[in-house]
Amino acid sequence: MSDNLGLAQLSDHLLIVAVVVYSLAMLAYAGDFAYGRRVKAAGAAGKAARPVPELAGVGASGGAATPGTPEGPEQPTAAVPPAATADSAPGDAGRLGPLIRGAIALTYLGLAAHVAGVITRGLAVHRVPWGDMYEFITALTCVTVIFFVALMMRYRAWHLGVFVMGAVVVALGLAQTIIYTPAGPLVPALKSYWLAIHVAAMTLSVGIFFVAAVLGVVYLFAERYSRRAAAGLSPANHGIMRRLPSAVELDRLTYRTVVFGFPIWTFGIIAGAIWADQAWGRYWGWDPVETWAFITWVIYACFLHARATAGWRGRRAAYIQLIAFGCLLFNVLVVQTFLTGLHSYAGLG
Amino acid sequence: MAVAGVLGVAACGGQIAANTPASNGNNFVSGNGTSSYFKAGSRLAAPAVSGSTLSGARLSLSSYRGKVVVINFWGSWCAPCRSEAPTLAVLSEQYQSKGVRFVGVDIRDSPASARAFVQNFGISYPSLNDPADEIALAFRHTVPPAAIPSTLVIDRNGQIAGRVIGQTSYSSLGNILAKVTAGG
Amino acid sequence: MTDVRSPQAGNGAAAPGVAEEPADVAGETIAGVADETETPRPGGFGAVAWARWAWRQLTSMRIALVLLFLLALGSVPGSLLPQQGIDPAGVQQYFTAHPALAPFLNALGLFNVFAAPWFAAIYLLLFVSLAGCVLPRSFRLARTARARPPQAPRHLSRLPNSVRYETAMTTEEASAAAAAFLTRRHFRLSQGEGWLSAEKGYRREAGNLLFHVALMGVLVSIGLGGLFGYKADRLLVEGTSFADTVTDLDAYHPGHLVSPNDLAPFSLTLDKFSASYVASGPDRNQPESFNAHVSYTAQPGDAARTYDIQVNHPLNVDAVKVYLLGHGYAPVFRVTDGQGKVVYDQATPFLPADQSTYLSEGVVKAPDAKPQQLGFAGVFLPTAVDVSGQLESAFPAPYLPAVSMIPYVGNLGLNNGVPQSVYQLNTTGMHRLATPVQVLTPGQSMKLPGGAGTLTFTGYRQWVSLQVTYDPGQVPALISGIAALAGLVLSFLVRRRRIFVRTYRGDSGRTVVDVAGLARSDVGGGFEAEFGELAAGLKSVHDHDSSPRSEETE
Repeated sequence: MSDNLGLAQLSDHLLIVAVVVYSLAMLAYAGDFAYGRRVKAAGAAGKAARPVPELAGVGASGGAATPGTPEGPEQPTAAVPPAATADSAPGDAGRLGPLIRGAIALTYLGLAAHVAGVITRGLAVHRVPWGDMYEFITALTCVTVIFFVALMMRYRAWHLGVFVMGAVVVALGLAQTIIYTPAGPLVPALKSYWLAIHVAAMTLSVGIFFVAAVLGVVYLFAERYSRRAAAGLSPANHGIMRRLPSAVELDRLTYRTVVFGFPIWTFGIIAGAIWADQAWGRYWGWDPVETWAFITWVIYACFLHARATAGWRGRRAAYIQLIAFGCLLFNVLVVQTFLTGLHSYAGLG
Repeated sequence: MAVAGVLGVAACGGQIAANTPASNGNNFVSGNGTSSYFKAGSRLAAPAVSGSTLSGARLSLSSYRGKVVVINFWGSWCAPCRSEAPTLAVLSEQYQSKGVRFVGVDIRDSPASARAFVQNFGISYPSLNDPADEIALAFRHTVPPAAIPSTLVIDRNGQIAGRVIGQTSYSSLGNILAKVTAGG
Repeated sequence: MTDVRSPQAGNGAAAPGVAEEPADVAGETIAGVADETETPRPGGFGAVAWARWAWRQLTSMRIALVLLFLLALGSVPGSLLPQQGIDPAGVQQYFTAHPALAPFLNALGLFNVFAAPWFAAIYLLLFVSLAGCVLPRSFRLARTARARPPQAPRHLSRLPNSVRYETAMTTEEASAAAAAFLTRRHFRLSQGEGWLSAEKGYRREAGNLLFHVALMGVLVSIGLGGLFGYKADRLLVEGTSFADTVTDLDAYHPGHLVSPNDLAPFSLTLDKFSASYVASGPDRNQPESFNAHVSYTAQPGDAARTYDIQVNHPLNVDAVKVYLLGHGYAPVFRVTDGQGKVVYDQATPFLPADQSTYLSEGVVKAPDAKPQQLGFAGVFLPTAVDVSGQLESAFPAPYLPAVSMIPYVGNLGLNNGVPQSVYQLNTTGMHRLATPVQVLTPGQSMKLPGGAGTLTFTGYRQWVSLQVTYDPGQVPALISGIAALAGLVLSFLVRRRRIFVRTYRGDSGRTVVDVAGLARSDVGGGFEAEFGELAAGLKSVHDHDSSPRSEETE
């Protein structure tokens, strides 16, 4: 069954369109930081460290210490804290400026092109569209954007878009230039239904961890900023920080994202082990990719443990999370490509 | 790594293809010459062994009942087997009068190479041709040959009295034969 | 993740930008494990006191973090440096390339990391640390699984999530209504005079412990495989058979408790091997499919059965699996020595030197040739073409098979007992015969000068490399892995929380209802929303029979 070259070309074009549209979206997000109008909160509790429910009674956070961003005299915020006011009135959309709304529209448009590009690639090669490195990166960035859009919708944290779009544009750009492989059949070792299962799980989890990493970086900036603001070195809620969720919320978002991705990553490793046993005769052989997947798993486990250990929360945990993502990147980009092993199916050689 | 006593390779591992097993290229499991002797009361009965020899005749172990039999697993391609061949040739002639018979089992060999080997080393005793290694399989419940070369000594009652794993020497096999022929 | 070790919320100083854990005001712990922020001092200077201190340290979360991190760090050289078990040729190459550095790395065990004692020490310590914490907690969970929640604290208003309101119901009615409401929500209750405690989410601890116990199960399974499993390799030419005994295997790696008697007694014959390759297009020469058609018997004397071994499709005989790892060509040669005797007549496996064209290299050794030993080294080309004077293989399928061999006479070095690679010729004791390079097609012969003999290329066959694996820890490892995943998901999804309700007669004569909530290790946040929802629900239950004059107070 030969590959459909026309569809393959269409896929390539759609993905290029996606990159361009994402870049425009990124510009629009950034533009909103610079030129967007300031928007009032909808009567929510503002950027309190602990978002307090409507029925808060005696002994609520007013008494307890509120670590995090101290309440300044004016608290205009477009990023409404999550949880309590997550189900705010639909009229909230009207509070967003035109630049942001344009950015959101462009994000959706880019995502549509992205999804179409991944699907047409799959149709062109008559199999799941994650059989080599190029396809893997396009598919996982698609997962990243979908997850992020869901996150931003739920927590109304649209202003995180600039960071997400930036990261995705870089990843897709890399995929389309250096890593690009034309559509082709799989080597016999990959012809198994485990390809769909194992690599799908990896695609999902890496896409989600990508989100967590971006959030982690933003968290570190927000945390540093709030520390400086608490020490009086910087004005509170200035500039970009005004529009972003508070450091506490970012920390929680990051944690929940990792919690979402970690079981999928674990499942991916198990599925990989089952497939390795069928194909290579052993379920674990310390192949470089297996080893680095294990290292990544262990460091994410470190992160989850650190969050529950006093003295290791906050900044240190965030560093651990970024180290874990660094290992993941190293695994995908360096180990799979350059180190010889049974996993060398990148299609580059 | 349990491949004990690999005495090193004359040349480097060589270009093993990417998806062939990463072996040292020897393609057999060699031993280190350890020998074991089993006391008279605790010996296991040897299984039935029969086949066709290199010259095409039928041969079975049962025809040697009452004699001490030495079974040597060898191949013409195997360096330790070639090294011990002169020893076996000498011992087979020496103990012939004491009622000891030697039988070879030729593994993973072609008849042409095997016959050339036998002629080259002046081996006078017959060897069974066993390309599928069925004879070694027959010993799996008792005292299996665990390397190439391996030598088993069967006493007059058809029980396994001793084993040498790896290249045998005049003294190690000679010792076992001396004990077994003495009725030990 | 959940805090296996410190069930108490830490009450260390919170760094800015981090949510504080709600302090456990009820003042009890799930287990008697010491709080994270203080390590109990040894009771004295005795050995027992120190041992107890050391044990507490080992089973603490901090040390677990350190050990986890060390485990990951220790794996890094195992992936970057060539490892003895996987790529011994690569290790040798590293030694030649870095003669000064390599012995130092070797002394540290970095060429066999995963079998090194220091690596074993790390995961064994981790195992002990894990067991030492998880097992007592499991027992505790079993004992307290049916326990009721504790009494509600006196001053509910001091808890971070609390609500107070009034209702027209009597205190008894209010308590009963609250109890009914919470029971409907699957809370476990305990009640007293004017107070009510409700708790939910016990499965979280169970899931947490299941995950960690399953991890230990994985470690044990790996150990099982290492002790009782074995792995062996065999290269098999078409038309030949092999039996699963040590004498018939190319390489044999038994577990520590495996003896040759334990090998499964199957025999296997390679009837035919077929491979297909992409003939045109950008992926030309890439393999499309491999199929090794074999017949086998599980025990000697059984009826033979057939099977097609392919990549991703191993043969399963009595829990032993036979995998197809690779393939190549074995040209068939006949060697006649100087005395006219046929001294060699068999298929000789050659190893592919080029993966895309399957140009293969190999040697023929005839140590019993007279008057001198003969050796040949050369190449086999499946589709031989002449490219501007250079002989090359154009395609991996055998459309135009040809060989080109170089003859040597002398001493092959086989008689000294040192095993040699069957793919390489040691020419130190040999000299090359002066004959022009000849390319032979099937049926052609090469006559050696000086009457030394003749080499005939009679044809070719294919070979497969098979791997025989027996791993009794395989299925337990899988089960443990799935159990770990289930425990993980359970511990993430379920949250443990308590709701307290106190009803008493207020100053205005109406019943005052205090509702407070507590989440244990609410690391991910979100309890406020749930509490708000529950409190609103309770309030509406209490408003149901009351006058509309109920009001909220801040």
